[in-house]
Amino acid sequence: MAGITIEELSTVYPNGVRAVDALDLEISDGELFALLGPSGCGKTTLLRTIAGLEAASDGAVAIGERDVTRLQPGDRRIAMVFQDYALFPHMTVAENIAYPLRVRGAAKSVQHETAVRTADGLSLGALLDRRPGQLSGGQQQRAALARAVAASAEVLLLDEPLSNLDARLRLEARTFLKKLQRELELTTVFVTHDQAEALALADRIAVMDAGKIRQLGTPREVFQRPADTFVANFIGSTPMNLVPRGDVVVGVRPEYLSPAADGLFTGSVSIVENLGVTSLVTLDCGEDQIGYIVPEDDEPSVGTTVTVDAPPARVLRYDKETGLLVR
Amino acid sequence: MSPLWMVRRIGFYVLITLVLAFFAVPMLWLASAPFDSKPGLGLRWPDWTFANVAATFEHPYALTSLVNSLVLCVVATVVTTVLAALAAYALSRVRIPGRDLLLYLLLLLSSVVTGTAAMVPIFVMMLQLGLINSQFGTALVIAGGMLPAAIFILKDFMDAVPRSYEESARVFGASPWQVLGHVVLPVARPGVATIFVWAFVNAWGNFLLPFLLMRDVGQQPAAVLLRTLYDEGGSANLTVIPVFSLLYSIPVVVLYLFVSKRYGFRFHGGIKS
Repeated sequence: MAGITIEELSTVYPNGVRAVDALDLEISDGELFALLGPSGCGKTTLLRTIAGLEAASDGAVAIGERDVTRLQPGDRRIAMVFQDYALFPHMTVAENIAYPLRVRGAAKSVQHETAVRTADGLSLGALLDRRPGQLSGGQQQRAALARAVAASAEVLLLDEPLSNLDARLRLEARTFLKKLQRELELTTVFVTHDQAEALALADRIAVMDAGKIRQLGTPREVFQRPADTFVANFIGSTPMNLVPRGDVVVGVRPEYLSPAADGLFTGSVSIVENLGVTSLVTLDCGEDQIGYIVPEDDEPSVGTTVTVDAPPARVLRYDKETGLLVR
Repeated sequence: MSPLWMVRRIGFYVLITLVLAFFAVPMLWLASAPFDSKPGLGLRWPDWTFANVAATFEHPYALTSLVNSLVLCVVATVVTTVLAALAAYALSRVRIPGRDLLLYLLLLLSSVVTGTAAMVPIFVMMLQLGLINSQFGTALVIAGGMLPAAIFILKDFMDAVPRSYEESARVFGASPWQVLGHVVLPVARPGVATIFVWAFVNAWGNFLLPFLLMRDVGQQPAAVLLRTLYDEGGSANLTVIPVFSLLYSIPVVVLYLFVSKRYGFRFHGGIKS
């Protein structure tokens, strides 16, 4: 068990792209940590640099007390689950799970024992003799997790662990993953482009853009007080309202706005979108479109004029030039 | 069921029968002539006997040449498959400038290098290296001729092995040889099997290079010996040729059936993940 310390880390590709740019990060022991960002932001490169699959151009990575910057992936005591799971198609589930032990030259009996024990823990016991091609997506994901667990590593790295599952299964797998991580108390870093996934799973989130961390914090901090307009835009299932007012940009989440006699924005209802238990109402306020959330059966009709307001603590102000949170 | 339809159907079947006969007659000859007491070049119901088989087994070079063929082919095939697998893997994974150009050039030149055009230089080179009449030397030249095409085909299979498989193995501590042996080769196995059989069949049927480089009749493989099977009168030795042809065709058929059953053939990469 160990945390991860990253200092001044840069990963530059041969074509000159600085995928990770002088990045500092401390991930504590046993933490479930999310690297979140749009595609091309460097989150996957950062994960692969921690794994040793990409060479760090500058800076250092340490796992626990050990500097692993120049170590081969196999010497770092990490386990990794890839986006496509990378289960070996010619091996059975049992052989796949036992693979980390086979590489280390463990006895056949030990390999089998570990495979059986690990598979039972992830309810794969009945599938040990199947090949990956005969498993469902969710089972493949669990088999890949089981193989990573069997490696008894100090750090678990997950590349987009849920993106290959369909929507319903994803929720189930999310809960399963969090439960597994809590049981193992294993330092876990996962990469995702899905903000909902990061908010739901992680203890802390690093929101990345252009190889740098834009904001580092708990899901609550990142959701309630995005550090800049980029994060504000990226986090939240409905995008934050960002309205220029003088030399600041006012940011309010649609979830925090509600109709009031007097308030921040007034406009006529142009669109109502049903989100299930709630609806997203879009107001035309001159040049700006303001979205706000209303409970079901409480939708205003299109064309009516509505004024909405939010609690003062939920109204954020960003600098117009830098995009940074003012207070 | 118009008359025109009938005519077209009949015409179609006649055509099919002719095409079929074109390929079937030599096969039937191969099955019947070895066991006919008076084998000819035509096809007829045999007058059964095993005398031809006995005569072939008594021929001073017939069986030796088949053994020579086996040795030559096994060496050439193993060298080709092993080197092609390693080279294809490296070329698939390592980025070097002009890699694709290099591959195409190799493929283009290989047909020249071991072909008729290079007969003289190859002979002179092998003579100076003292590798005339050497099974091993000849096998190397044959393998050299097959390598570019083998690398070219196998690279496609290697390209189709997802990188995440290798990276996954590496993360768990596998060495480069373990990655190759545990993951890449097993996943690319249909391709390797295809190359193995292709190389064997090519080497088995190769006439020109052994003919040039194996001057000693006791060293010659079956493909070369077949050309020398004449009787005293100078006409084809029809006692030995049919049996010899049958024996000559067996290893390739057996190999094909074995590999096809065990591994299955594919001529392109792409695996279902």
